[in-house]
Amino acid sequence: MEAALKAIAEPRRRAILRLVRDGELTAGAIASHFEVTRPAISQHLSVLKDAGLLSERRDGTKRIYRLRPEGFEDVRAFLEQMWGERLQVLKAEAEAEERRKHGAGSASRRR
Amino acid sequence: MAQVLRPDVGELEVRIQASPETVFEFLTDAEKVTRWKGTAAELDPRPGGIYRISGMGGSTALGEFVSIEPPTRVVFTWGWEGDEDVPPGSSTVEVTLTPDGDETVLRLVHRDLPEGQGIKHEQGWSHYIPRLAAVAAGNDPGPDPWAH
Repeated sequence: MEAALKAIAEPRRRAILRLVRDGELTAGAIASHFEVTRPAISQHLSVLKDAGLLSERRDGTKRIYRLRPEGFEDVRAFLEQMWGERLQVLKAEAEAEERRKHGAGSASRRR
Repeated sequence: MAQVLRPDVGELEVRIQASPETVFEFLTDAEKVTRWKGTAAELDPRPGGIYRISGMGGSTALGEFVSIEPPTRVVFTWGWEGDEDVPPGSSTVEVTLTPDGDETVLRLVHRDLPEGQGIKHEQGWSHYIPRLAAVAAGNDPGPDPWAH
């Protein structure tokens, strides 16, 4: 879990993981989402791969990455246990607060 | 109900039907904080300011704010008062708020946690781990008293 937590500490690496959440992408396609240099992105991809959070395959000269969901099992269990239910409560409370702020007369806000 | 938590990339993601400003208050206002975590909170929401939240699964969370950027980002250190394994300041929680239409996407990352130490204080684990061990050992743990 330690390597995974370290790997996701960097905001750009978390952004990379969100990009490949719904399907695999080439290194070039991933890099095109960022302003930083390609070698910097390669370094992030390497850290994520070493932490077991990404898998890599080659297609000719291209490297293609996809999420490795099993790499997140421990982190996911911890996060859900520690924060999952609490964030559900936060969501409910913040939504109630928002409705109060906008007043009971605002029909468009009602669900 | 739609899934509101997406922990599949190592962070929790919750979509909230409220503005970032409203959600932000729940991270830095003592009265609002206790509506979702703990039972009592004292907090000093500025960089270097200390917070203390008691009544979290029987423990008291203690740490300091590292960064406060209303209404988009809060970073604070995390630990348990009086605990040697996860002492105050030993790990870090980062919460970011991103507006999306009339919703806010909240993302939470908990990092720098000492290996294997994050979960043991949570009463959920002290409840479930013995049950898991019983199942693993081929025993029936009996009906879960926490199940509705």
